Amino acid sequence: MEHQLESLGRNLFAVFGLLALAGAAFMVVSKRAVHSVLAFLFTMLCVAGCYLSMDAEFLGVAQILVYAGGIVVLFLFVVMLVELTKYKEKDIFHTQSRAAAVAVIAGVVAFAGVFKHAFFGPASPEALVLRPELAQGLDVAHQNAQAIARGLFADYLLPFEILSVILLVALVGAVVLAKTERV
Amino acid sequence: MISLNAVLLISFALFSIGIAGVLIRRNALVILMCVELMLNAANLNFIAFARHSGSAAGQAFALLVMGFAAAEVAVGLALVVALYRRRDTVQVDDLNLLKG
Repeated sequence: MEHQLESLGRNLFAVFGLLALAGAAFMVVSKRAVHSVLAFLFTMLCVAGCYLSMDAEFLGVAQILVYAGGIVVLFLFVVMLVELTKYKEKDIFHTQSRAAAVAVIAGVVAFAGVFKHAFFGPASPEALVLRPELAQGLDVAHQNAQAIARGLFADYLLPFEILSVILLVALVGAVVLAKTERV
Repeated sequence: MISLNAVLLISFALFSIGIAGVLIRRNALVILMCVELMLNAANLNFIAFARHSGSAAGQAFALLVMGFAAAEVAVGLALVVALYRRRDTVQVDDLNLLKG
């Protein structure tokens, strides 16, 4: 039973990962920006599925909230604000796309060589562990959000606070950049 | 147990698609989405390594990267809107002001 569950988990990851790849490929090649955004949404949901199948429940839900709930909506707003239909671009790709495609393929081949060495080796059987003084009274394997919270706010409080300042700056910057001239 | 290499492979492929999109597309919006895709691939790596090494730090940092991605999208989209207002285009091929 446990073995079956494990193989199901691995297969779920593969399914979500391949779907995410398909969505990403469609996003790059699709002609209309709205289709690209929808493919982006699909890809983000599949990546969230990948997170969930890797026992990162909190991050999976956060991914759905942040991307599907926030970023994709922003993209859709801008796509509808910026009238894209008037371009009727026949040639959606950049003028240097041939050289770029060659460079990308060369990179893929190089990395494939790296991957060939360590192909599908054994993985660590452990789930998340916290430092013992942080993990007091917590079932780390089953309380993912609490485990992340303790790790984040105990060890990485400063990056977290810096991120909040960055978000504030981004908010102000976005308002300044996008506001109309006459106001 | 999902093997680390499978995750790395998927994340590598996602990153490659993202970088291919950044390099070959001319629509600034699609380029921005491809950048997001690359950040997601990096996040996938963070989580895979967190799982592999059994430390909560990777997941915490993935959360931070997610917030960073949100900030980046806000500024990027504001830039695109400002660009559209000033130059009436979002095609990066048309933006050759600094070209000698």
